[in-house]
Amino acid sequence: MSEPMPMPMSMRLPAQPGEVIDREERFSFSWNGRSYPAYSGDTIASALAANGVRIFSRSFKYHRPRGLLTASHLDPGCTIQVGEEPNVRGAHRLASPGLDVRSQNTWPSLRYDVKSVNRLAGRFLSAGFYYKTFIKPRRLWPAYEKVLQRFVHGGVIPDRPEEHDAEARFYDKRYAHPDVLVAGGGPAGMAAACAAAEAGARVLLVEEEHRPGGHLRWGDAADLTLLAELRERVSAAGVEVMCDAVVLGRYDDNWVAVVERSPAGPAFERLVKARAETLVVAAGQIERPYVFAGNDLPGVMLSTAVRRLVNLYAVRPGERAVVLTANGSGDAAAADLSRVGVDVAAVVDARHGEDVVRADGRGGVRWVELGDGRRVDCDLLVTATGWTATTALLNMAGNRPVYRPEAARFVPDLDTLPDTVVATGGVVGDGTREALCEHGTAVGEEAARRAAGAAEQSGEVPSRAWPGVKGAEGARAPSAPHPKRPDAEGLTPEPHPELIHGRTHGFVDLCEDVTSKDLLSAVEEGYDSAELAKRYTTATMGPTQGKLEILNVVGILAEATGRTIQEVGTTTWRPPYAPVTLGALAGRRLEPVRHSPMQRWHEEHGAVPLVAGAWIRPDHYGDPGAEAANVRENVGIIDVTPIGKLDLQGPDVAKLLNLLYVNKWSKLEVGRVRYGVMCAEDGVVLDDGVTGRLGEDHYLMSTTSSGAAAVWEWVELWLQTEHPDWRVHVTPVTTAYASINVAGPKSRELMERVTTGVDLSPDAFPYMRVRRGSIAGVDDCVIWRIGFTGELSYEIHVPSAYGLHVWASLLAHGEDLGVAPFGIEAQRILRLEKGHLIVGQDTDGITQGYSADLDWAIKLDKPDFVGRPELAWQRQRGDHPRLVGLLPLDADTVPPEGCQLVEGAEIVGRITSSRRSPTLGRAICLGQVAAHLAEPGTEVTVRLPDGRLTGARVAEQLASVDPEGARLRV
Amino acid sequence: MSEPNAGAPAPVARGPIRPPGPTRVEAGWEAGGQRRDGPVVLVDHTPLAKIQVKAAYDGEAARILGVPFGRAVRGGVGDLVVGSGPGEWLALGPPGTQHALRGRLDGALAPAAARELVTTVDLTHGRAMMRLTGARAAEVLTMLCAIDLDDRRTPDGTAFRSLVAHLATDVIRDDRDGMPSYLLHCETSSGQYLFDCVVDAGREFGLVVSGP
Repeated sequence: MSEPMPMPMSMRLPAQPGEVIDREERFSFSWNGRSYPAYSGDTIASALAANGVRIFSRSFKYHRPRGLLTASHLDPGCTIQVGEEPNVRGAHRLASPGLDVRSQNTWPSLRYDVKSVNRLAGRFLSAGFYYKTFIKPRRLWPAYEKVLQRFVHGGVIPDRPEEHDAEARFYDKRYAHPDVLVAGGGPAGMAAACAAAEAGARVLLVEEEHRPGGHLRWGDAADLTLLAELRERVSAAGVEVMCDAVVLGRYDDNWVAVVERSPAGPAFERLVKARAETLVVAAGQIERPYVFAGNDLPGVMLSTAVRRLVNLYAVRPGERAVVLTANGSGDAAAADLSRVGVDVAAVVDARHGEDVVRADGRGGVRWVELGDGRRVDCDLLVTATGWTATTALLNMAGNRPVYRPEAARFVPDLDTLPDTVVATGGVVGDGTREALCEHGTAVGEEAARRAAGAAEQSGEVPSRAWPGVKGAEGARAPSAPHPKRPDAEGLTPEPHPELIHGRTHGFVDLCEDVTSKDLLSAVEEGYDSAELAKRYTTATMGPTQGKLEILNVVGILAEATGRTIQEVGTTTWRPPYAPVTLGALAGRRLEPVRHSPMQRWHEEHGAVPLVAGAWIRPDHYGDPGAEAANVRENVGIIDVTPIGKLDLQGPDVAKLLNLLYVNKWSKLEVGRVRYGVMCAEDGVVLDDGVTGRLGEDHYLMSTTSSGAAAVWEWVELWLQTEHPDWRVHVTPVTTAYASINVAGPKSRELMERVTTGVDLSPDAFPYMRVRRGSIAGVDDCVIWRIGFTGELSYEIHVPSAYGLHVWASLLAHGEDLGVAPFGIEAQRILRLEKGHLIVGQDTDGITQGYSADLDWAIKLDKPDFVGRPELAWQRQRGDHPRLVGLLPLDADTVPPEGCQLVEGAEIVGRITSSRRSPTLGRAICLGQVAAHLAEPGTEVTVRLPDGRLTGARVAEQLASVDPEGARLRV
Repeated sequence: MSEPNAGAPAPVARGPIRPPGPTRVEAGWEAGGQRRDGPVVLVDHTPLAKIQVKAAYDGEAARILGVPFGRAVRGGVGDLVVGSGPGEWLALGPPGTQHALRGRLDGALAPAAARELVTTVDLTHGRAMMRLTGARAAEVLTMLCAIDLDDRRTPDGTAFRSLVAHLATDVIRDDRDGMPSYLLHCETSSGQYLFDCVVDAGREFGLVVSGP
């Protein structure tokens, strides 16, 4: 069945004095597949309302038709899908040409939604229905879940959002450091911002609406005049104004999170992390709905919604209205309606005890029953029954609101706020527009004064003028705040009847479809506190997070439990104040990566990348087995730039090395390198590497690639906290050098072709020595003769900007020698064949030194070193696991790393490294085994991932290839 | 047999940041891109000579250098001397002058070295450096850096170390001809990453990448 097509712009009024639409700019957009006209400045909802649309969504649980209630961002009845973006607040989002707007979770149409049958089962869908119904049998939960998912109320996101309009999905982040941040751009907030800025403060004004002004925007001529003046002052004072933005939370030290929903520039949304010296909360008040039967029907609106529609968007909210009013806003709404020709059939004055009993109608209000029994036909029911002070940000600063029954409102207890947080405007109390501005001005001046004091205390340079700060004589301000808070005087909540519900039951939380009956049921079942009832019924847990309904919830609970509203208290306001997208929280994708100078070459030659922390390294170039074999037969080169390198200078470096390494360093001669192992105080292996002595007081230490930063901190920790008297300077130089390992039996021949200034003969440059020279014409290179791969090899460190040049030179000069690059995987194979351990792979967070086959390195006869007491105890106990070589009995089965070693049902070790050795043509492993299984020749049982068991024999030593080291010492 | 590399052309140094456009060699370094102007301009200055000095923060060397921690001063031993940490300085010079700069520093600091530990390390190859200049340069950095860059907090001549795009970076406010300008300085291996992040953040401010 098709929906009736309303007349275009049938509800549009003639021009209004404060309207924000531009009638010169007219365009079309689509709503559920049909085209509708709109003006620039219209929200999606105002444009649709101007075209006679009254139903915008279906409710959360019962799929009841819903229309406009607040006509603002908070409107629970106007959550829609815009293009690929779900859950858009249609009463806030501006319409734009070509938008594809749809209702959410309705079928077959918004007007005739099949899921509205839930209404028939409403009596069974009471509070706690889900908890009670789907808890048993637990095994059926997956089935329940699938069904319930179909009823989830929300929009649709694309399957792969990154493929859809990537530019529109760009979320951003930035930082801000205002002296004064004003949350809320109503008259008091604008006045506060002006006063603070005129006093010399940097001011950021955050306003949730599209333009600042608060209720002045839909006010009378005097309001509009004042609004224009304030806007001019804000601009002249240099206030940074952030509209369509909301303060999400206030954290310690005024760390304030703001989300901009339509920032300037290409970003879709932007999270602003602001550190404000003073936070001014001017968040105003939110009008409260009234609870009665039919209070959710399309056509039931708050007075502020009516005033917005009429005055901002020139939209006639209905044809015939009933107005229930208890305050000036309701009176003004009635006057607005009369002025624009709406038939105001009845004004029901709650101040005189009059009331509305119920509203009824199919698809919208058709008639209203009044308290005196009259039935009035109408299509619009306006309610103005009270306000909620927006205290959330103040509560996040430590304030607990206090209930004022004479005003029917919770208000902040200002005396409990920190000096860096002040409040102004409606959140504090009521007043004329002049009183609001006066209060805002006083608070803004004090906010600037406090910010000036904070700036003074923080040692800001150079000193700056705060010309408007009173008492500072045009210069620096006194730092102490005024003993009396400026926000505590001038505005007080006006008396207001306590209107929460009528004589019939209705919806309390329109987001979650929670009724007053549900709350009474919760109390009957024992959930009688605000926090418990909230969780049981989900009242205040919808998108508005209680901003509209919190007092109604508390009032009904108080009445049901015989307590006062103050005694029941409110639920706790926590950040975020408003729903925020995950994209805004994530912001830009900032993940530092590190590349070696040879990265370009690796990419151009098909290297398969390996992500190792922040480093991107070549894992292999196609065939790691062949790469390893080439190193054994000819010569290979590998990019090892990520190896950590620390430049150590000073006469006490040897003392430092003796302290941090488990082995001895006092007699390391200039020109020699030595392997060392570091343990922590608990004896656990921390890192390893070689250190070379380049000069009398100059050393170059290497670390593992992943341990570079930790070792640097470790070294500095010991120097700065335990031995500040030692004369040692440490500088990380990891990427000052490009590092290349040239390995293989032909490596010397290759090196001789590119090296000058160094005699590479075995006698002049033997194993474990360091030399400095020129390679491929590059001076200041460091050459270590070491052998992680088990082959004759040279590790060269060249000034990094020449890394690519040296790499290419080695390949060019070694073509006839069979030189080829090899990657990390080949290196791992080679080192495993040689039995060299990798810290962090063959050790873990509890592996002490003697469990890593480091007995030969640990020198307990040194007077002291880090970890010595624990290592001495470990050796004394002797019951520690051992790192051993393991040869699988089935030479073709390579047990994956991490496989358990078992003895019956007991775990007695694990495989730490395993590969198929291309040199031996069989599987080889390293593993940690229990002490009683460590003897060579012992057979152990390996449990494979699929549960099968296989055997392995403990080898004579860790090395499977060249255990004597003949190949690397040639 | 001839000496290896005899007669071979001098090696060309290549920084971590891919040069924009066709490349040329300047002072032994690969450079690229024409000089361009824009509201915010980003230039790769990695080839600048960079010598780190370490000494007691309150000793004779500190007095000779005359630059406190957190400040940067033009002139003196280097083109720009930066107090980059307590007891740590960075001296900058034109590309290709690192050996001469280090020699000048060692000479100037010799009197102090007789009484305290004074060391120098050539970090020319170890650090990437770029310059961001323009009236809105600070706004670009606020997208990436949590430090207050207002003139009143970080005026010309301020130096600090912080995270920029989640990367440990030295930032030096070094205005050029009255225009706000920032030198950004990080480990070489992340130079391209930082450069790309600044370019991305500057897009909405009309940032252009210029040759040196």
